[in-house]
Amino acid sequence: MSVVSVPARPLRRSPIDGGHGVAADLSFVREDMARPLPLDRTVVSDAAVVLKEMSWRRRFGLKGPAAESWLATHHFHVPSKANSWVVADGILVARLATSEFLVEALEAGQARVAVAARELYAHDRPLAVYPVPRQDLVVELQGPALNDLLRQTCSVDFAPPRGLRASDAGPLVLTSMIGVAVIAIPRELSGRRELTLWVDPSYAHYFWTTLLAVAVDLGGGVLLDQPHGAYGDHT
Amino acid sequence: MMRLPPIAGEWIDRAVPLTFSFEGHEVPGFRGDTISSALAAGGVRVVGRSFKYHRPRGLVSFANHDVNAMMQVEAGGRSIPNVRADVTPVEPGWRITAVNTRGGVANDRLAWLDRLARFLPVGFYYKAFHGKRLFPHWERMFRALTGLGRVDTTAPLRATAKRYDFCDVLVIGAGPSGLSAALAAAEGGADVLLVDENGAAGGSALYARGGATQPTAAVAALIGSVAAEARVRTLLGGCAAGYYADHWVPVVTGEAIVKVRARAVVLAQGASEQPAVFRGNDLPGVMLASAAQRLIYRYAVAPARRIAVLAANAEGYAAALDAQSHGIDVAAVLDLRSTVGPRTQVYRERLLQNGVRVLNCVRPVEAIGGAGGCVARLEFTAPSGLESVNIDGLWMSVGFAPLTGLLHQAGGTVRYDSGAEQFVLDSLPAGTYGCGKLTGAYTLAECIEDGREAGRAAAAELGNSGRREAGRRPAGAECSNHAFPVFRHPKGKEFIDFDEDLQIRDVENACQEGFDSSELLKRFSTMGMGPSQGKHSNLNALRVLARVRGESLEQHSLTTSRPMFHPVPMSHLAGRGFVPERRTPIDREHAVRGAVWMPAGNWRRPEYYARDGHTRAQAIAAEVGAVRGAVGLIDVGTLGKVEAFGPHAGEFLDRLYTGRFSNLKVGMTRYGLMVDETGVVIDDGVIARLGAECFYFTTTTGNSATLFREFGRLATWWGMPVGLVNLTGHFAAFNLAGPASRAVLAALTDLDLSDAAFPYLAAREAHVAGIACRLMRVGFVGELGYEIHVPAEFGVELWRVILQAGQSSGIRPFGVEAQRMLRLEKGHLIVGQDTDGVTNALEVDAAWAVKMDKPYFIGQRSLATLAQRPLRQTLVGFRLAAGGAQRPRESNLIIDGGRIAGRVTSIGVSPTLGHLIGLALVDPAVAAAGKLSLRVDSGAQITAEVVPTPFYDPLGEAQRRKEGA
Repeated sequence: MSVVSVPARPLRRSPIDGGHGVAADLSFVREDMARPLPLDRTVVSDAAVVLKEMSWRRRFGLKGPAAESWLATHHFHVPSKANSWVVADGILVARLATSEFLVEALEAGQARVAVAARELYAHDRPLAVYPVPRQDLVVELQGPALNDLLRQTCSVDFAPPRGLRASDAGPLVLTSMIGVAVIAIPRELSGRRELTLWVDPSYAHYFWTTLLAVAVDLGGGVLLDQPHGAYGDHT
Repeated sequence: MMRLPPIAGEWIDRAVPLTFSFEGHEVPGFRGDTISSALAAGGVRVVGRSFKYHRPRGLVSFANHDVNAMMQVEAGGRSIPNVRADVTPVEPGWRITAVNTRGGVANDRLAWLDRLARFLPVGFYYKAFHGKRLFPHWERMFRALTGLGRVDTTAPLRATAKRYDFCDVLVIGAGPSGLSAALAAAEGGADVLLVDENGAAGGSALYARGGATQPTAAVAALIGSVAAEARVRTLLGGCAAGYYADHWVPVVTGEAIVKVRARAVVLAQGASEQPAVFRGNDLPGVMLASAAQRLIYRYAVAPARRIAVLAANAEGYAAALDAQSHGIDVAAVLDLRSTVGPRTQVYRERLLQNGVRVLNCVRPVEAIGGAGGCVARLEFTAPSGLESVNIDGLWMSVGFAPLTGLLHQAGGTVRYDSGAEQFVLDSLPAGTYGCGKLTGAYTLAECIEDGREAGRAAAAELGNSGRREAGRRPAGAECSNHAFPVFRHPKGKEFIDFDEDLQIRDVENACQEGFDSSELLKRFSTMGMGPSQGKHSNLNALRVLARVRGESLEQHSLTTSRPMFHPVPMSHLAGRGFVPERRTPIDREHAVRGAVWMPAGNWRRPEYYARDGHTRAQAIAAEVGAVRGAVGLIDVGTLGKVEAFGPHAGEFLDRLYTGRFSNLKVGMTRYGLMVDETGVVIDDGVIARLGAECFYFTTTTGNSATLFREFGRLATWWGMPVGLVNLTGHFAAFNLAGPASRAVLAALTDLDLSDAAFPYLAAREAHVAGIACRLMRVGFVGELGYEIHVPAEFGVELWRVILQAGQSSGIRPFGVEAQRMLRLEKGHLIVGQDTDGVTNALEVDAAWAVKMDKPYFIGQRSLATLAQRPLRQTLVGFRLAAGGAQRPRESNLIIDGGRIAGRVTSIGVSPTLGHLIGLALVDPAVAAAGKLSLRVDSGAQITAEVVPTPFYDPLGEAQRRKEGA
């Protein structure tokens, strides 16, 4: 038998890691997740439209009759209505249906969400709480041409005033974009509109490359959310 | 040169001259010219040849609606067919030729076809194509003689970006009524999108001036108000090409399709001017009056030097004044009517003052061609008798047909108004409004008021289901349409449909042959099926049809209008081509190892891994050998993966599958077979019980999405509170299989893998290489094996570490083809390949997986019935020597006594056994005889021996292999 080098801490892989025509075989790590470095499509933050890959964020899903009370017990703010979301203490809680939730740490709150996820998967959780693995590709879209991109790819009108302009609460949209089911949350942060999308990871390559092609046509590209110094070869 | 001095409001930029070539001759123009306007300005009068008879043709509608001005354009290395010259802005350097000529438009060598017209009666195609024997001959001949442009099959793929747009009120048409509607809707608080196929707003009000140098001030004010209104967005150069449910309207622009979703739609498209039908009405120089006015006012082109106007309305008189005011000699205004109304009278007096001869009660007899086949003289009858007038242009202004296509698609209806002599709005669906010529309003004041009402109503009723009364033609309004502008000639050639060269006698003959309704006439004669889609022919054809039948037009209806209302480039329809493809998390690992891809559902999977010096068959055989002899690893992440939670989860699965799962022990798995209500096999998989109220199960790759939706529907239908979670994309899954698989796995986990602790068909949750995994010990390919499921984000790490751990054991990744062979050796059926849409569970010998004693499962009653009947077919195994020259293939038939007795479903050379093995669905009586006669592709029949399955390891010892064995 070969000598097997088992990593002490297994590396997570972004749903688009290595699979979307990156210029170099490089990736970088955030929250233990290896992510691609698309050298040829990288743009600056004020480009017409930018895609940010945010799959590294810690998240979990849950559903079931006791899901809401479980979240409350763990001190998460829970939206009162289905198809809505709240952000509190840097953590997004999205209510996808009457008793189904998606919880994701934004910038802050990674550790707290990771701990909660471990508890959710523990064998002593209430029987009426069902964990929902969330391995989604998460993409943030921003930029002045955001609406142009959306209008080429989705039949839902996200433009103001229909698209909501809030930073801490609002409705979410379950729809399809370029033929793929997505969860979409429009937000406005510091006067800048952004849309966050959650996508089944098996569609990640198709979704990312297609959306990026549209963005590039509009004068946009990928915006890295981490300084270049943080990159390394993790392949 | 026919270019006029500058005209107020012209669309050309005289500061930017350009040249292009037409039929090899250089033609000048200006930026803003269309191909047709530049040709007309350059004195080119014959721009095309007719579709069937190759008659010389000139501009008729100059409105994007006729076949005459369709061009092949060579530009930028591309050859673009069927470019609509009337509306396509010309670019410098373009090389343009007319479509459908042999040897050029001036000297078309197929012009002799015109002399054969009487041998090509209506329905000729159907009659000629009737016999099968000569069909190929006729097909080749007609394809050579007729047709439009040439498709450049080497043209590069062009990604055309479709996009969506949204508004409260969509107004289609930016003429006076549309502008007025848009403004009123915006003033009512609506967000308005105003679209028009032309390059500028204003519609006919900009060019039907009646000799005035400027458009009327009311129109200019309306255009200014709309431009200043922040709630109105204007999309010019966009043609609304269809109307779909919930007010979806595709607007076709030069570059792409914009799919507009509106809460209400106002139809203000106006009307198409209609030609008069008389002998020679298709000669170059004979055109619609509105076409001539557009040439004058938009492009500063004089379409002729000396004209006559064939009129039946005030608009014709106004056109004569427009001609006069630009130096065109008006020889006569020939009015078909005996009396005129007050609107006409105003223009008539001005013309008479200007010395123009105006005659009433005129009947055109024949337009006669001169040099180049262009019109040179018109013969007509007047009260004084037969007369003629020498001209180089004849303008027809005898009536209009409102554009009702979108209205029909929206669900609205029209009725024939004998007062207006046109079809007018009769009913409107909720959220749709109409105004302008569609309602019979023709004067500027009528159109503006009508539009205002429609716009207000649309804005006021947003979100409600209220509807506006269909518009009413203003009482006492002067009619703009002649009741029957059709004039038969003994020698024919009075064209109704210019696209298809259809004459009066064609309609009459079609009626005589029994095709005497508008829909039958259309299909038999091809009336209205050309590029103009009947915009200039349907109404006149209907008039002739009604007259032949001795009926009124009220008793007839227009043909069904379907999207697209207007021809749309295929690249526009295709758009970018969004085709979602799924990939497993290990995709790149496969690529690195030389995967040759194959589609599986909407996934891509490795068919096999290419190896230097190995053929496909050798590579697959090596992969099979690795699994049977050592250990192999396959990515099965494409399988559907579902969790069912809750106290009723077991009962739910009992209902879904034929087997029983409510009694499955925690930590064990069981094969599951799914049938539909008729007992037909639709899916299979493995069900694991991970907890008292938690099951984890797999479905086949192709069915996963459909079945998950169906599970949710059934849970609701049955009222069972089951929590269903779809993990298909969120989990990676591998199958580690082969005699060495236990040893490989043992190096990576602390889990006790002994047969006692982890027996065959058990399921466990454990850490492998530090990653939390689900493991199921199943006989997927008939070997000791473990299915390992892991969150997708850890898939790559686990795949790599397993391959590393198995290196010294000779581990090899294997693809779908090896998997198929391994499973075939075990006689495992593949749902969808070894079964079809009528194969029931009993026919595939799966009765062992069916628990009929359960209270209920889907298909139970059907299977109970089927069990009482003899089997129609049965799935059996067969074998053949591998070396035969005639190798059967899947779907080859099994023949018994000259009849079809079954078919081969799976077949291949078993690397393990060294001969051909296969499965076949076959008549049980034939199978019982022990021999199958297979008809191979060459037609030869070869004999196979029926053998029991599994072919390999019939006792199943390999998959139950204990440690140390």
